Amino acid sequence: MAKYFKIAFSLLLLTTAFIACRKDAPVDEDGLLITDRRECYVSNFELLGTDFVTVRSKAAVIDTTAQTINVEVLFGTDLKNVYPQFSLATDCKLDPKITGKTDFSDLANPKTYTVVSGNRQIKKPYKVIIKFQ
Amino acid sequence: MSRKKIINYSYLLSALLLILVACKKDEYTIPSPKSELSNDAIKRTLGPNIVGDTIQFAYAMALPPAKGKLVSAQVEATFAGATGTYLENKSYYTKANGQDTGVLVGQASVNSGAVTKVTFNRDTSAATLRFFYITPEEARGKTVTFTFSATSSDGGNVSYKMGPYNVAKMSLVRNLAVNNATANFISIADMKVYNAAAAATNAANIDLVYLYRAAPATFLHALVSPAADAQYLPAVTLPAGVNKSTKLMKVFNLQDYNLAYTQFGIYIDDLDFQQINLSAAPNFAINLKAEAGAWAETADGRYRAYIYMNSVNTNGSAVISIKRYDMQSK
Repeated sequence: MAKYFKIAFSLLLLTTAFIACRKDAPVDEDGLLITDRRECYVSNFELLGTDFVTVRSKAAVIDTTAQTINVEVLFGTDLKNVYPQFSLATDCKLDPKITGKTDFSDLANPKTYTVVSGNRQIKKPYKVIIKFQ
Repeated sequence: MSRKKIINYSYLLSALLLILVACKKDEYTIPSPKSELSNDAIKRTLGPNIVGDTIQFAYAMALPPAKGKLVSAQVEATFAGATGTYLENKSYYTKANGQDTGVLVGQASVNSGAVTKVTFNRDTSAATLRFFYITPEEARGKTVTFTFSATSSDGGNVSYKMGPYNVAKMSLVRNLAVNNATANFISIADMKVYNAAAAATNAANIDLVYLYRAAPATFLHALVSPAADAQYLPAVTLPAGVNKSTKLMKVFNLQDYNLAYTQFGIYIDDLDFQQINLSAAPNFAINLKAEAGAWAETADGRYRAYIYMNSVNTNGSAVISIKRYDMQSK
């Protein structure tokens, strides 16, 4: 009888240990899931005015090799108050984060945003180059 | 049976009994109607109460026909209503097709100070009269209360109090026609549109220039500060002294009901003007579409406004409406 108890107890202990030692899904400092994905690119870019209407005159040209985003904006666009929107590859995140209106008015010094891959190992800086129509 | 079992059974029985009693449906009794003069009122307008604008009520009064008929109805407001305030002398009912139809029940209302009164001249024992109160200037930023009352031939007298309602500090002007040639200088301080000659004599009050340019294609209808970059004022000759820099922020889809009369439930109130931050806004807004608008702040920071484009026309004209808040009244 004691033998059965020992076996049962050992099994229980093993199961508990197994559950307890299962690795938690890894998350980064923002609480976002770190995955195995290595894709790291910008798939789409949008620029909205204060009225949340696009200020682009045509689609943004994204060069994933040169890591540039070329945008042509409408005449009269107030670049001090625009909302950029990035579409990224799955599980990627952007640094710095976009928290609201952004000032893109310094055309001589284009802003740079870094795309971080899903596995958080690859980082690609993209330069946003804006010119007026 | 053991003592414990007996206690258990009795406990269970009493619990069952309690549930049974608790679930008994209350019998409905038809309420007996009041057999004397009674009244009720509702406020029909929504949103902020603005000086010069109407606050509308519906006041209902009735008594059993056997008891008598209505003699008079009146409203007393905290502040006498501005010109145009009246109490309808028609009682409305709604037809099957949804149309409101009025039946004449009394003489035209008479305003006497803060009291607006209708004397009934039809043999009627029930009526719903509408009250249109034009908010007077003296009520700006204060609260206003209304006391509705009615009298009947049997000596009955009832009253119903509505309010207090806050009256906004902001001002409102609707449907100002602007065009490229003769009405293109806008004064937020005066809430008016001037031509070049009048703008020259009111130069200190001109805050914006309306202009329409077909080219470039993204210029079209624009509100531009006189002090804006020359590229936003093509072929515009500013009268002497017109040189202010008004901050502007384009907005789309903010169809304030008081200005646009389209979307119910969208209202700009004093608080919106107090909280909006235009410190980083530019001094021009081009390519404004119909039903779009722009927040504005005058160069001296005294006034904040919302300018709404009611309609635009490709012949270089538009109709605008303005809500304006005096920051000194905060």
